[in-house]
Amino acid sequence: MRLARMGAMMPTRLSFLRVLLRRLCAERAQIIRTHWDMSAKGYGRAVYSLGFGGHTYSLVAISNDLPADQRSDRVIAEAWDTAFVLYDGTPDAAEIDRIAAQAPLQEAGRFGPRDLVLSRANKSVRMWDATVAALKAGTQPDAAMIRDIGYLMRTTAVYGNGKFGIADRHLFADRPGLSGAFAAEMLAVYLIRHFTLDLVQHVGGGQLDPRLARHLGIGNATGLGMAPFLVTHPVLLNNWVTARETAFARVRSVGHLTGRHRARIAELAERASAHLAEWHVPAQEHDTTLRRLEQDWAAFRPRLDAWSGPRPLETLWQGARSETAALQELLVALLIEVFPDEVDGLSECMTDPFGALVAAFSGTDALRAAISRDWQWALMHDYDSPDMCRRFWYVSEAKLEPRLGDRFAEAGAELETPLDIARRVAALSADLPPQDQPVSDFLQRHPVHAHAVARVATLARYPYAEIRDNLIAATCRPIDMLRCKLSFFGATKFDPKSDLWTRITLAQGAPLGHELSPEADDWWLPVLG
Amino acid sequence: MTDRSWNEVQALAVKAATGAAVPPAQALAFGAMCARHLADGGAEAPLGDALRAPETILSLALQVERMIETASLSPRIVTASEDDAGRRALLVSWLASLPCQTEINVRAHEIQACLSLTDPGTRTRPARIVLGAELFCRMQELAARTYVHDSAASRESGAGAGLMELD
Repeated sequence: MRLARMGAMMPTRLSFLRVLLRRLCAERAQIIRTHWDMSAKGYGRAVYSLGFGGHTYSLVAISNDLPADQRSDRVIAEAWDTAFVLYDGTPDAAEIDRIAAQAPLQEAGRFGPRDLVLSRANKSVRMWDATVAALKAGTQPDAAMIRDIGYLMRTTAVYGNGKFGIADRHLFADRPGLSGAFAAEMLAVYLIRHFTLDLVQHVGGGQLDPRLARHLGIGNATGLGMAPFLVTHPVLLNNWVTARETAFARVRSVGHLTGRHRARIAELAERASAHLAEWHVPAQEHDTTLRRLEQDWAAFRPRLDAWSGPRPLETLWQGARSETAALQELLVALLIEVFPDEVDGLSECMTDPFGALVAAFSGTDALRAAISRDWQWALMHDYDSPDMCRRFWYVSEAKLEPRLGDRFAEAGAELETPLDIARRVAALSADLPPQDQPVSDFLQRHPVHAHAVARVATLARYPYAEIRDNLIAATCRPIDMLRCKLSFFGATKFDPKSDLWTRITLAQGAPLGHELSPEADDWWLPVLG
Repeated sequence: MTDRSWNEVQALAVKAATGAAVPPAQALAFGAMCARHLADGGAEAPLGDALRAPETILSLALQVERMIETASLSPRIVTASEDDAGRRALLVSWLASLPCQTEINVRAHEIQACLSLTDPGTRTRPARIVLGAELFCRMQELAARTYVHDSAASRESGAGAGLMELD
């Protein structure tokens, strides 16, 4: 699992938003607007409730008049157009008042165990104003603009799992519907998207064409804050990737393609082409990559009509081994999409309720053998070379958020966050004694190596627990880690703004709030047309 | 006294231990132990003492490592002896915070533990943890030692940087 591969990943039917929507659709969940106190300009409060998995959840939305000079996607911003709390139950007036006072403060606010998720979003002013103007004029917004932007608002943070006092995940992790990875966060995101559509129609005084409305997802701007998560949650990462790899292995082992399978593959291949054609980004480097993928995919597609051999998908995959990682990842996601019966149950395996369940090594010789077997990729670098250790990860004083510095140009490297796993394992390997001894004896003399020992033990049991790259190399691109994590969330239309942050779209093409039914679960790589 | 989420307490304790110069693995384990200890009604004083004398944290980590090592070689009840009541309480909490299944008995100064290292733990977690103001402040002070003043380069390159915000 290399960064370059992670940086090409695509959303699949195992992505968390898809999994959540599938469940909502299966239950035919109904979103009810239980509170609406909005000015004509769209400032005020709203509450949406839905029954889901035997529980009631509510999105409390607070919309404020934000001066243009305060609108920023930066995580260091202090004011936003809208603030949200996903609430456990139906809030009464006092609870709505409490949330209305705290949610706009975001990180500076204080929350309780009935607050499941905290979020905020800013308008895409261009899309918002154009949509309001069109609706007021009795027309519809420009489809081309919707295709290019794809959302009315962008979230800039979606906090869960105990942050700022909100509920820990373990409080609801066994509930039907919210048991999946990031399910509460995805439910909040979906309801925020629902709110943005409701609000723009309120302000515009008209109804959006459902086809256009469906293509308005919810944007997100994501930076470094998300990247270390994949390193600090090795078992969770392993479980995500294992589910995906298991899904693909099952698909590759399919022995016979029915006519229905073939038709579905052809349909999705066409959809993928159309999606790529609609996916353009301003950054030249990334747009060039997209255009190459578009061309490569067009050239590859005839192979999706020429099936052969006893395991035709395995044959297809072997033939694709020489293609780019981008094309391979698109192909993997497409093929997984075709086989829901073989794949969907794996979504139950994508959490980590326990942590690493590993036994100790019998001694330093066993530890050395594990390193030799699993960590050659980490031992091959000279970490004294400046470009092999140029980056250092740290937590910023200003916002308590992860950041990335240049060890040779910026202060603070002595406070480095331990994401330099490869370097640590190499250092451990170098310090291991020639004679076998208990690892605890070794750690008594070298306590700093305990972290590396734990990672070696974890990888020995969880094969996808590590990103097999040097995360402090000058060439490390955090954007690749973001792409991986966001693809597991179900993000589309990745729009990288640098190697450090990206914009994305979630829930584009997803069924609208009144369309949640089983047949609506077909929105992989949406196309507006 | 303020009630906090489990993750708030655990994350703060990890940072506090790191700020007290405890290495990463031991700091992570201390954070998990701290949340378990407070959730189970343990006294705050031993936690504060441990943060004042981080060699205590290293020593406890090593004790647990040796117990796990013994349990890995031959699954049976493993023991440790600890004369100091505060350290003994932390050792019990440390074992209880392991991700695996654990059964722990304390007899006078001796701790007996049955560790099923590859079976998941079954201990429940409370909705909130109460953390006293003094320990909270101490942890925050230590945690602050781990933060780095943002560089100009960082501020100019993070998410949302360099764009008009109207698009």
